[in-house]
Parts: sequence; structure tokens; C-alpha cells
Amino acid sequence: MQIDLPRKAFPLPIKRVIFVLLTALVLSASIYQALRAGDDLYLTASVFATRFLGIFIEAVPFLLLGSLTSGLIETFVKTDDILRFLPRSRLGAALGGTLLGLVFPVCECGVVPVTRRLFRKGLPLSMGVAFLLAAPFMNPIVFASTYIAFGFGGVLIGRALLTVLVAVIVATVIGSFADPREVLKPTSAKAGEEHSHHHHPQGGSGLGAKLFSALQIGADDFFEMGRFLILGSGLAALLQTLVPQDSLLALGSGPIMSVLFMQILAFLLSVCSTVDSFLALAFVNTFSTGAIISFLSFGPMVDIKSTLMFTGVFRRKIVFYLVLLPFVLNLLAGVLINVALGY
Amino acid sequence: MSAEHQHHSHIDQTGWAKSLILFGLGIYLAVLIVTGNLANYINLRFAWLAYVGVAIFFLLALVNAYACLNPRRAHSHHHISWDNLLVVAFPLLLALLVPSRSLGVEAVSGGIGLSPVGVERASALTRSPLDRNILDWLRAFNRAPTPAAFNGQPVDVSGFVYREPSMGEDEFMVSRFTMSCCVADAYPIGMPVRSGAAGEFATGAWVRVRGEALADLFQREFVPIILADAIALIEEPAQPYLYP
Repeated sequence: MQIDLPRKAFPLPIKRVIFVLLTALVLSASIYQALRAGDDLYLTASVFATRFLGIFIEAVPFLLLGSLTSGLIETFVKTDDILRFLPRSRLGAALGGTLLGLVFPVCECGVVPVTRRLFRKGLPLSMGVAFLLAAPFMNPIVFASTYIAFGFGGVLIGRALLTVLVAVIVATVIGSFADPREVLKPTSAKAGEEHSHHHHPQGGSGLGAKLFSALQIGADDFFEMGRFLILGSGLAALLQTLVPQDSLLALGSGPIMSVLFMQILAFLLSVCSTVDSFLALAFVNTFSTGAIISFLSFGPMVDIKSTLMFTGVFRRKIVFYLVLLPFVLNLLAGVLINVALGY
Repeated sequence: MSAEHQHHSHIDQTGWAKSLILFGLGIYLAVLIVTGNLANYINLRFAWLAYVGVAIFFLLALVNAYACLNPRRAHSHHHISWDNLLVVAFPLLLALLVPSRSLGVEAVSGGIGLSPVGVERASALTRSPLDRNILDWLRAFNRAPTPAAFNGQPVDVSGFVYREPSMGEDEFMVSRFTMSCCVADAYPIGMPVRSGAAGEFATGAWVRVRGEALADLFQREFVPIILADAIALIEEPAQPYLYP
């Protein structure tokens, strides 16, 4: 009975605060729509709505695909199958995790439900974290978009190497926690035996029944992860509406500051990894090469909406590491690249 | 047996709410596609994403509704809270309350870019002057051997009216947002316009500007300025953004 209490501590107050703020914003927008008198606030709300819906509309199909994948994994992949093929060492697992993206091609919105599902199936921490950070780049679609945007050269190779390097380091650090329960929320940790029996009783074992069950699980995953995507998109849209992009651009010169600001921009913009190369192209004339590579490596790992989604999988302390470590490592790498290139 | 009976008589409220929200989100995306308002939010190069979204939303809505009607076939899912449902319904709420709009002049904060964004495409240079949009002009200008190379060429561009605080009565900026992926990366660019009639056009209005190009200093930079012969009010184009 006592153990049940912390498990139910799911809604963080911070999310409630954000939700209340967003609701307040919509309410004020609708009031102004009714009055039509004070144009300014109404227009600001309308800009916010466009930005928010834009980010949401572009991201939501990827979250849906990720949720479906998660449902299919739940119903068709046996826990034993996963455990059998795993590398023993933590480093090996981390390296393996970076390649897992080639098996499950997902972007940063889709990767979170899939990772959570794999954790529940017993995937080791280091492998899951490496997968989480690397998969949004490590998939054919993002290879293609980076290649189309930049061609085969320094940016593509730099992006790939830096992504793998950072993912492996962060995964090894977080994998060093002995007990997954210190890292994962109870809802993402591997379920006990009695729970997994509980999962398929009514559905039957035919293909149709399994698909039906996979779709239901996928829908539930969409709701559980979707709220973080929506809160994150709202926060990103709010910041974009309040912080002009120009003020970032103006500050971002020099070998260190350019990298720093491109990373902050990547965090704020929360653009999907499948298309961020085209966005980075917009900055090639303004920013150093190190900054572009760091932008492309850091952006898919961490941004506002994925940070919010992480809070649905990991404990808060770990979410903090998951944001900070990639930020610092990518920053270091970007500055080193700039120094090596002689900026 | 009694537990079984209870299960049947109980109407799965959150289950139906889930179906409704999934269905609603599917309809919303479908409406955006049909009305063309999708162009207000994302680069239409990625419109196929919205089609995928509609298909999956409808599929999941149907599966959920079927599960609600046949509780025996339902997966023993964990409970999704009303809080959670409300958050996921938020985009629908916003879409219903705030009419769909593209980013316009009120979204410009901190000035308008005078240099091109994105890859330089040779097509911007070979395109005939009258076919160039604002982005093409800035690109062509950026690549020109001397700023004066385009002086006297005819210009025909459209965009919304924006005014820098420093601008005089006879000037405004004809501007567009560029967009690579979605509105998250929208960035405003523009060309200064000079005309005696400039003052007649309200900030934010969509206009078509015809005239000739002149390289001149604006904010300490050489930029292509339009000496306008004719300025006309137009409807906002179906594709309000320029795609780099």
C-alpha cells in the first residue's frame, strides 16, 4: 500500500503551472477575440497560436509513428529476444544503442515512446540512453536530408561522429547507475512478471488480435507522450514569441559564442531532426562550421519538447543530466572544431 | 461474475474521450489540408506528414471506439487521466478559438533581414528579373559582382508592408517570412520600397510592388531598393511564406 503512493506522483506541479499558464493565454486570446478592441494582445496570442500549431502539426505525425512502433514492440517483441542479443559491457551496450536507430528509424518525438517501451522490456540503461540520443540522427531519413542539404563532406561526417561520441559518453555515465529505478520512473521501468502476464489475456493470439492490441497500446502511448509534446511545443512557441531570433543572431559571433548560441537556438526552436539540416543551411553564412555541426548534433538530442517528454520517462535528476551533458559536450566539440579550422 | 457484470454496465468515459480527441485531431488536420490553411503552418514540401497524421488519427480513433463498444476485446490498458486528456485536447481548443492565420507583420520582432537565407541557388541568378521573388532578389544581389549590377532592372514582387522606426513617409519594406520546415524557423526578409504613395499603405497590408531596382545604402548596407511605379493592395497569397 505504501509503495503505491510515489508511483502515483505523476503530475508534477511544474506541468500544472505551465498548463494553467497556457490555458490563461488561450482564455485571454478568446476574450480579446470577442472584444476585438485591444488589438495588440490579441495579435500576440494569434502569433503564439500559429507558432504553437506549426510546431505541433509538424511533430505530431512522428509521435504517432513512434507510438505505433512502441505498440508493435509491446505485442510482437518478446523480452527474452531482446536480452539474448545484448552486448555484455556497458560501453558495448552504448555503442550498440547508437546503432539501434537503424532498426527503429524514429526522430526525436518518436524515439521517446519507443525508448520507454524498450526500457519496460528490459533494455539496459546505457543502451537505451544511447539509442535515445543517437536515433534521431541515426536513421536513413535524416542521413538523406543532411546529405541533400550539405552534400557528402565535413558537416555530414562531423555530425555523425559527434552524435555517436556524445551519445556513447552520456550513455556510459548514466548507465553507471547500478539500479535502473534510480534513473527511470516506475512507469518506464521493467515490469514484474505478474504484470507481463496480465497484459495479453483477452486479446487472443491471432495476428489480427495482436495488431488490435498494438494499436490500442499505441493510442495510449500517444496520449501519455503527447501531453509532453504539447507542453513542450507550447513552451517553445511562447519563448519564440517573446525572445526575438534576431537578438540571438546578433550575439552569436566568435568561435565560442557562435556555438553557444546555435545550441540555445536548437533548444528553443525544437525543430524535428528530419528537417533541421534545411534549417541549419539558413545559418551557414552567419555562423561558424563548429556551430553548425553542434547545432545538428545537439538539436536532435535535446530540445524543449523532448526535454518535457524525457520527464515522462526519467526521474527529474536524470533529465537534468540528459540536457546538461549533451549541451556541454557538444559545446566543447563545436569550439574544438572551430579552433582546429582556425576561426 | 458480478465484477464482469459491472465492467459491462460501466460506460468507459475516458475511452470515449480518447476516441473523440483522436477523431477531432484527425478532422483538424484534414480540414487544414482541404482548406489549404496547412500552408500557414508548415512548408508544403512536408504536407505528406499531415496525410500520415490524418490516417493514423482516424485508425486509432476507430480502434479506440471499437474497444469501447466491445469491452471484452479491450486491452487492459492503464488509466489515462482527465488532466492528460485535457492537455492533448489543447491544440483542438486553440484551433477552435483562434482563427487560422499565417505569420504576418505582428510576428516580426527585432527587424527584418536584408540578406538571403538558405542555399544559394543558381536559378535565382538565371531567373528573369520579373520572376524573382524577394528571396531571389536578395540572393541574386548577394552574388552580384558589384551592387550596381541590377540597377534599372524591372521588379515585380509581393509581400506585406513593414516599417522600420527610422523610415520616412515615402518608404516601407515589402517583406515575406521565409520558412524551411515549419513556422518555428520562420524568418522575415524584405526589400525597402520608395514611393510618394508609400504612406497610403497600412503596415501589415499585403501589396504587389512594381518598379525598378536600385542599389543604395540602407542601414549602412548596400541593398536592392525598389523605386516603385505602382503599388497595389492584394489578397494574402495561398502560400504566404517563401521556401528557401
